[in-house]
Amino acid sequence: MTQPPGVVGVGPALGALKLVRDGLRQGLDAPEALIRAAAVLPGDTRRAVERAARRLDGDYREDEWGFDEEFADLVLPFLDFLYDRWWRVKTVGALNVPGHGRALMVANHAGILPWDATMISMGLLREHPLPRYPRFLVLDWAFSLPWVSVAIRKVGGVAASPFNALRLLEQDQLVAVFPEGIKGTGKPYRERYRLQRFGRGGFVELALRTGAPIVPVAVVGSEEIYPKLGDAPPLARAIGAPFFPLTPLFPWLGPAGVIPLPSRWLIEFCEPIATAGYGPEGADDRSLVLELSEQVRDTIQAKLLENVVRRGPAFA
Amino acid sequence: MAGRRVLITGVGSYFGSELARRLEADDEVEHVVGLDTRRPRGRLERTELIEADIRDPGIAGLIAPTRVDTVVHEQIVRQPGATMSARTMHDVNVIGTLQLLAACEKTDSIGTFVVRGSSGIYGAEPNAPQFFTEDMARLFPLRTRFQRDVGEIENYFQTFARRHPGVTCTMLRYQPALGARLDTQFSRYLSMPVVPTHLGFDPRLQVVHADDAVDALAAAVRNPVDGPVNVASPGTIGLTRAVRLAGRPTLPLLSPAFGPVTGAAKRIGLPGLSEDFSRLIRHGRAVDVTRLKEEVGFSPRYTTSMALEDWVERSRPEKTAA
Repeated sequence: MTQPPGVVGVGPALGALKLVRDGLRQGLDAPEALIRAAAVLPGDTRRAVERAARRLDGDYREDEWGFDEEFADLVLPFLDFLYDRWWRVKTVGALNVPGHGRALMVANHAGILPWDATMISMGLLREHPLPRYPRFLVLDWAFSLPWVSVAIRKVGGVAASPFNALRLLEQDQLVAVFPEGIKGTGKPYRERYRLQRFGRGGFVELALRTGAPIVPVAVVGSEEIYPKLGDAPPLARAIGAPFFPLTPLFPWLGPAGVIPLPSRWLIEFCEPIATAGYGPEGADDRSLVLELSEQVRDTIQAKLLENVVRRGPAFA
Repeated sequence: MAGRRVLITGVGSYFGSELARRLEADDEVEHVVGLDTRRPRGRLERTELIEADIRDPGIAGLIAPTRVDTVVHEQIVRQPGATMSARTMHDVNVIGTLQLLAACEKTDSIGTFVVRGSSGIYGAEPNAPQFFTEDMARLFPLRTRFQRDVGEIENYFQTFARRHPGVTCTMLRYQPALGARLDTQFSRYLSMPVVPTHLGFDPRLQVVHADDAVDALAAAVRNPVDGPVNVASPGTIGLTRAVRLAGRPTLPLLSPAFGPVTGAAKRIGLPGLSEDFSRLIRHGRAVDVTRLKEEVGFSPRYTTSMALEDWVERSRPEKTAA
């Protein structure tokens, strides 16, 4: 009774292992043996073991993009911890994101690793009455990496290709982009609240072509998680990475250097900018595209500077 | 379109024979001719068989008298089998296509070409669009010999179509086919006792169900369109999920070890994996089938996931018998 949830006593655990062994000896395959043995475990653990066994049998769903909602749900407790305890994220304006239909979220990008993407997702899942997983356009390079590529696609990331974005928007998905791209994640610490160039406005073309509203998103806090003090281009070249960050902790502390600093975050979803009125042919109008791109950038930049003050000190 | 006369190259293959059978049952098809050195699979009722090698310049004299209006080019080899060297495969694919087109230059009855080509032309790349449409054939360099062969074949047909504006050339780009009665690199791979994978990679794969593959070919004969058309069962499946459905354990290998280990496996009699296939199970590939549905007017009945489940279900009894 006093046992905390998620912890299994030694007795049932040993019993279950014995049952697995017996099952395998009787010629059952691993998933079946696991399911049978799980019967002696307490509720939560039993469900987790049964789910693992089912997945070992190939009994799970992935959509055509490889998004695996069950897998994404599995990492939620960890992201909850980051959201509530580590970064103490506050999310405002979630209702500015349409609850259904196509929409394009455009956010500022900082902090070496795309933790900002996970926290934007969490903000929506937690604060929106009609939560849904956004589909992120992720730097192509990440898809050539073992494990990383699999994890990204399973939680809803796709390679940053306009073809992918168009298809997703045409399927009425919520798509998220970081137009700053690698220039954003790799910006030096002293320029942390300064937005980089927004590419050539490709994201605006996508929105115009599909009539999707643009929702600017300003994220404060990701700038401080890995203060990038320097860069080591020769090391970056050696591993084929776009840059090799030198932070107060990385690479000096080895793997521990990957632990992000616990800054305080504030995420704001701004008012959507409608694009349907321009029609799909607006996508070929360079001046309109650049103008809208600049408008979105200015909106995010202004909100960012405002919210840095609202949030207060990063590490308080 | 009554009274169609159709020639099928590679009629001895599974797809050649199945297509012949389907065309024989079609009242609008007056005559079916099959060209191959191999015998057709199973009995064909009214197909006229021409036993000849497609690489032989002599086929010109054999094709002209048949007065066919449609040629289905099916004799394209997708993987070097135990009986065929990589060299022969290249010869059949490239020289065979060349001889076929040379023969057809001299035959003015032909108005339609339908080619069972390959989606291999798109390659398998980490940073590729998640769904290739027909206009994305040259986004990446052609890396393997088979890709270059397919590239050549497509070039030959493009040139032919340009020289003969009255001829419709349908280039069907097939994803790997999967079917219970079909022996392909894909089915051999999923039937290995232990399935080698690239450590840390779990790509999205896409197949075409054998039934849909034959139907798509027949649909293209009925309703040919100009240019390339992707053929696949819609949707995708993760490699890991496919292997688990097949009930096989995986053997994840570090990429540098992949070639040597699978090479050694081949020497002890397990199926070898071509370079194309090895890239496919590392980075995956999927195509968009809008053109097949809307222009050819054929909607596949299976999704990729269903095709895999169907294959597992139907090939399981054989497995337990063996």
